[in-house]
Amino acid sequence: MTHAVSIEHVSKIYPLGNTEVQALLDIHLNFDVGEFTTVAGPSGCGKSTLLNLIGCMDTPSKGEVYIEGKPISKLGDQELTRLRLDKLGFIFQSFNLIPVLNVFQNIEFPLLIQGGFTSKERSDRVMELMDEVGLRAQAKQKSNELSGGQRQRVAIARALVTRPSIVLADEPTANLDSSTGERIIDLMKAVNKSHKTTFIFSTHDPLVMKHATRVIRLRDGKVLES
Amino acid sequence: MRESLVLIIKVAFRNLWLYRVKTLVIAGLLCMGSFIGIVGLSLLRDVERSMQDSIISSVAGHLQVYSSKAKDDLALFGGAFMGRAEIGTMPDMVPFRELIKKHPNVADFIPMGSDMAMLGRGNELDDVLTALRTALKKGETDIIEQRKQDLTFLLQQLDRELTEREKLSSDKELMVRYRTDLKTVMEPEYLASLKILDEEKLLFLDTRIAPISGEKQALYLMYLGTDIDLFEKNFSKFKMVEGEALAPGQRGILLSYKVRETQLKAVVARLFDRLKKRIDRVETTIKGDADNEATAKDLPKQYQQILASLDRKESEELSAYLKSIGIETAEKELVAGLKEQLQKFLIVDDGNFKVRYAQFYERIAPKMKLYEISPGETIVLRSYTKSGYIKSVPLKVYGVYTFEGLEDSDLAGVMNITDLVTFRELYGEMNEESKKELEAMRAKSSTVVTTAAAAEDALFGESAAPTLENREIEGQAKSNETIQIKPVISDVFPISEIQNGLALNAAIRLKDGSKIDQTRAELNKMFKEAGLEAKLVDWQEATGIVGQFANIVRIVLMFALGVIFVVALVIINNSIIVGTLNRTKEIGTMRAIGAPKSFVLGIFLAETGITSLIGSIQGAGLATLFLLALNYKGIPAPNDVMTFLFSGPRLYPTLQWNLVILSPLVISLVATIASIYAARHAAHVKPAEAMQEKE
Repeated sequence: MTHAVSIEHVSKIYPLGNTEVQALLDIHLNFDVGEFTTVAGPSGCGKSTLLNLIGCMDTPSKGEVYIEGKPISKLGDQELTRLRLDKLGFIFQSFNLIPVLNVFQNIEFPLLIQGGFTSKERSDRVMELMDEVGLRAQAKQKSNELSGGQRQRVAIARALVTRPSIVLADEPTANLDSSTGERIIDLMKAVNKSHKTTFIFSTHDPLVMKHATRVIRLRDGKVLES
Repeated sequence: MRESLVLIIKVAFRNLWLYRVKTLVIAGLLCMGSFIGIVGLSLLRDVERSMQDSIISSVAGHLQVYSSKAKDDLALFGGAFMGRAEIGTMPDMVPFRELIKKHPNVADFIPMGSDMAMLGRGNELDDVLTALRTALKKGETDIIEQRKQDLTFLLQQLDRELTEREKLSSDKELMVRYRTDLKTVMEPEYLASLKILDEEKLLFLDTRIAPISGEKQALYLMYLGTDIDLFEKNFSKFKMVEGEALAPGQRGILLSYKVRETQLKAVVARLFDRLKKRIDRVETTIKGDADNEATAKDLPKQYQQILASLDRKESEELSAYLKSIGIETAEKELVAGLKEQLQKFLIVDDGNFKVRYAQFYERIAPKMKLYEISPGETIVLRSYTKSGYIKSVPLKVYGVYTFEGLEDSDLAGVMNITDLVTFRELYGEMNEESKKELEAMRAKSSTVVTTAAAAEDALFGESAAPTLENREIEGQAKSNETIQIKPVISDVFPISEIQNGLALNAAIRLKDGSKIDQTRAELNKMFKEAGLEAKLVDWQEATGIVGQFANIVRIVLMFALGVIFVVALVIINNSIIVGTLNRTKEIGTMRAIGAPKSFVLGIFLAETGITSLIGSIQGAGLATLFLLALNYKGIPAPNDVMTFLFSGPRLYPTLQWNLVILSPLVISLVATIASIYAARHAAHVKPAEAMQEKE
């Protein structure tokens, strides 16, 4: 069976002036479909680099990353972009909603880029997700009129709207208070269950970690525990 | 695709609103650019058209032909340096005319030649003597006294002048004679006893005293010799103002209205005119405008000119009239009183100018000799001919002409028009009569005719006969500036004379004026085939620097627009780059969640495109309103050059819809294309930037 994400002996080296920084060192990991995995570790341990590689926003220096069995290192920008659009959903630490769009439009955004939907299809999908994240009433509101928790719900809905197989979340609760953070994690978990979506998220919050079905600990670019 | 496009535009609009100050600045700049562009180009085209009209239908025609051996370029309205351009000659115009008229698009061929001549003007003494003679005839004692005073004043001036000349002149004998004559008339008894029309004394003053004084300041007249009949038919702007045009075969001259108004009109009237023109046209006031203040200050000094041209009856009438309009004098004596009244009358300010101007032209001007020369009079033109001697030709003034709409233009009004035969005379070309006369003179002085090439042999070869005698006579003639006035110059000439023979250049009027370049090329080909050496220039080239005006303005305008555009583009690019920095996260997020680079590029280009469209359409709207307003009101020509360019005292600009519609599109397109570089910069933001957290 194909893994949702496969990481084979991946190293990532960044040049820094005349020296090099080893961000990841010979990482070997597999993520199965429907996993709810957290990548934990202190700042600078390589969490973000790992998520960037899985998120097809960067390519490995050595080794290979497979998304649903497809290797990414040989792909060009256009193909990587399409892969992100079709297969992946993103949730960011500071929500990253597009400021000039309202809630509905933010969620609809990826569908418009993907193209090929009628406006009714788009609207149905967006409404459905708004119901799921409990924001139907805020459909017309601008992102800056929402609370942090609400914004992250919008982000979750946006990540799910293209029905991706994998959702990546970079410290999704870091900018939220603990109870809101917890509710967000609950929501993510509910989606994980209902949609069978693979969730990979980074965090250094122990409270969040306990919700994960699998915890991968990183330190200095290496896997400590998986 | 369509959804993406709609989304791009939606996002772009939102962003423009979000960064509205920046949007406003850029839109404002492009609005200004579009406004200046449309207004500037519209005005330029209008000026170009009216100027073309001015030039083509006044003197140039569509094309001008002249000798290909010309040293200088033809400049009908004068080149960069006013002077005599050496444009060669067409010794016989016939082959040129015949060839040119073969072309199907040629309507007519108008031979021309222009040059400059000095106008013989007499002097102030002559004028005063004439006035004195008139007063004596009428027996008006107080006026006679006044004229005698004027004369005494001039004689005293002449006395000082002569003292200076005596120091310098080598002709002592002549100086002694002058001194003796002047002494005679300056005896108090001489003028005191002049109470009746004493022809002996007057003749002495006329013939012995007046010539001592130099002429009035020399006045150079530009003249254009042509076939006036053809000229009138082909140049629609030609219009007679006074008198009559020259009949075919008639010798004579038509004065230019502008020359007469500005150079041959009484100074007092000229000052009035000048003030009136500036007040009406340039809409200035007298007070506060340095030029007007100076003119107004000069006016009261000109009473003498009025006084000198009135007889007793006229003086009494004028004095009474001035009294009736509230200009009083305590002076009992008529002339002294009128002098005071006139001085008062001539003090003008913003309050009374309009009334005084009208009063002057209604009541005073008709009593004066308003112009130095008027139709019916005969003038003497003196020119340096090609062969270097001075030629004088008396010419009857038949009328005053102008070019319609260009009455005020110095450029169009600089030429006085004469017949081609007279032109040749002044130019130095011999007519049949002169040739015969020369032959006779040669026979009499036994001069040997020789060509320049054979001159050396003729002079120093074995057969050379000494001809020094003849040269001496010539030299003497020059040093004394003796003027040879032909005793009889026939007043008429056979029409064939102006249809054959010499012309310097010729105007070619076309049937279809839009085919200038084509016709020119075809004519050039015909010249080549026929082996005729001729140079063809279009109206624009033919008018020298004037014709280039539109091009110069165009360059300046384009430069200004270029600067505005470059500034706008720099600001646009800069703002996109700065905007990219501010919006890195937003762009990164879009890229992360699957937006392709082209989408980001599209957003930035759309932002520029929309901003430019909004700005430039507004500019176009404003330009439209502005041009409509100008069209309604007209732009006054602030000076004479502008009158020429406007083809009249006011320019009524026309709205050009194609320019109004095209300009915003072109501006937006160029701005959008120019922002591709910066937009690409934005599109290169990495999707991973979405993950970066600001610390």
